Amino acid sequence: MTLMNRRTDEAAADPSTAALRAIVPATGRSWRDRLTPLIPLVVLIALVLVITIKQPNFLSLYSMRGLLESVAPLLLLALGQMFVILTGGIDLAFAAVASFGTVLLALWIPDMGPGGIVLALLVTSLIGFVNGFVVAKAQVPSFIVTLGALGLYSGIGLWISGASTIRLSEGYDVVGWLADLRIAQLPASGLLAIVIAVVIAVLMGTLRRGRALHALGLAEPAVLMSGISTVRLRILAFTLSGLFSGLAAVMLVALQRSGGPSLADSMQLPAIAAVVIGGTAITGGVGGAMKTLVGALIIVVLRVGLSAVGVDPAWEQVFYGAVIVAAVALTIDRSRLRSIK
Amino acid sequence: MTHPPTVDERRLSPRVRRLIADAGPLVALIVLIVVFAVANPVFVSPGNIGILLSQAAVPLVIATGLTFVILLGGIDLSIEGVVATSSLVFALTVANDRNDLALGLFGALLAVLAGSVFGLANGLANVKLGIPSFMATLGLGAVGIGIATVLFAGRSPRVLDSGMRMLGQGSTLGIANIFLIAVLVLVIGWFVQRFTRLGRYGYVIGGDEAVARLSGVRVGRYKIGAFVLGGTASGIAGVLLGSQLGVGMPTIGSGTMFTAITAVVLGGTLLTGGRGGVLRSFVGVLIIVVLANGLILIGVNPYAQVAVQGLVIIAAVVATGWRLRTRVRIIK
Repeated sequence: MTLMNRRTDEAAADPSTAALRAIVPATGRSWRDRLTPLIPLVVLIALVLVITIKQPNFLSLYSMRGLLESVAPLLLLALGQMFVILTGGIDLAFAAVASFGTVLLALWIPDMGPGGIVLALLVTSLIGFVNGFVVAKAQVPSFIVTLGALGLYSGIGLWISGASTIRLSEGYDVVGWLADLRIAQLPASGLLAIVIAVVIAVLMGTLRRGRALHALGLAEPAVLMSGISTVRLRILAFTLSGLFSGLAAVMLVALQRSGGPSLADSMQLPAIAAVVIGGTAITGGVGGAMKTLVGALIIVVLRVGLSAVGVDPAWEQVFYGAVIVAAVALTIDRSRLRSIK
Repeated sequence: MTHPPTVDERRLSPRVRRLIADAGPLVALIVLIVVFAVANPVFVSPGNIGILLSQAAVPLVIATGLTFVILLGGIDLSIEGVVATSSLVFALTVANDRNDLALGLFGALLAVLAGSVFGLANGLANVKLGIPSFMATLGLGAVGIGIATVLFAGRSPRVLDSGMRMLGQGSTLGIANIFLIAVLVLVIGWFVQRFTRLGRYGYVIGGDEAVARLSGVRVGRYKIGAFVLGGTASGIAGVLLGSQLGVGMPTIGSGTMFTAITAVVLGGTLLTGGRGGVLRSFVGVLIIVVLANGLILIGVNPYAQVAVQGLVIIAAVVATGWRLRTRVRIIK
């Protein structure tokens, strides 16, 4: 484990790390291995350039504001998903849990104020905890447990909200500052989300156990034999996913001034796309918060860019689906899948 | 594979356990029917039974196709997208209020074919690109919803072909046509499962893919075949829904995937593959439909239904996989 502690995010992004060397025969670092991690960043820069040429006011303060505001909830959701994907699993419930969170916030903030936010975050974290507990203890594939959870919590959300949007007027100030505050004329919501991503990247790079989730995705038997509880690690990943769904819910309630039982549902695919397009492999072990940040920026810039070039927004879904399939096909590590189910 | 027998296994002989696993869903179905019949006699009235059968039709068609995919250890999360695209292809190629096409039955076939193409794409992404099926089908499902949204263009095309409307709305000898079609699909599915290589090898591949490969089974093509069957079934479901509602729309299939997966798992087909079958899925579909219908009759909030189904999925997979849990395995 000592080797794994002092690594920076860039080094871990590279598939030929110490842990992998033990598994993959030492073929050395091919050009492909070295260049692949840079592709998302190059794509992002190229996208910004192309759109700026087409629409020179893309880099204006006004459009930067819109960009930062729309990246905030997406990035938070993607960061939560990233923890689970790093372990090699997936959380299909995360967007539904965020929607459920917005309903709880809209119901609780008028009476409880800041306490309502704390309580809602506790509930979404607990939901993640339970998902992780079932996946780890009952050894059921994560996609099916979280698919069931998706139904469970969207059902409860629809039920307690009466299937309608709940406007938040009384007590809105508790979250309202997130939407109104400007730092250097830029919206605090987006900047805060980016700061959170950087903090996660720094923590994962410096903490003694910071790379334990990567290790779990990379070589679970090795983690097990080194005496770390894989059950606890897996539960931790899902709990973090739940917590970040809650944070995204707070951000959404602030930006939308309301909560709704399907408010965040449409972000499920873009958020998963952000994680995989940034270069986090769904086989687990490879990836990180900075990659996810780049992925989320690509998604948001592309969304703006597509409409700037005049593409019908109806094509957006086709695009997300194709991007997920293409990005996964590029980043997946086939050597570690015994059989692809 | 050598693990100390758990308390559970020592108490029950293998034959008894097999019997419980086989008869369990059927017993559950009968218990549910009795409970609801006692709680509200309307439940067993001829009118309600007719409603139950037509409610079971679309889930049955989808679950039959999905069973082949799950038998191989895969999953199909693209169902709702495929159903959406198929419903729009159907509504836009038969006589409708949007264009001058009036292909009739041929239009319905085109819509089913669109489903098969999606199934083929799922299979190719899984087998040739090596993407795990949950991810490949999640992506292609989004493509399906997207294509449906583009074809939809803001307004539902209405089906004007009366013959095609009868497909979904009419009945023969007092039984809803869509249920008869669904039973036909089930029978075809059973024949494929029982008497073709695709069906027989499915059990071998799902049981142990490596062994199947070493025995010379061409695993890839049978896997693709299973996904094509799944996509075709979703295509048929799109036609049935389009015909029943008389429109095509991107959200027409919402909820169908959930019901179908719950039904297959509840029926006793293992998510890990290798065990199960279309007739078990039929029992699973009936359980889900009876539960949904019965809960409404005794006055449970319809939104709570989705929550109940979610819980049922989790409980069913945990229960069926519980025995295998003691091995040290890696489950992602």
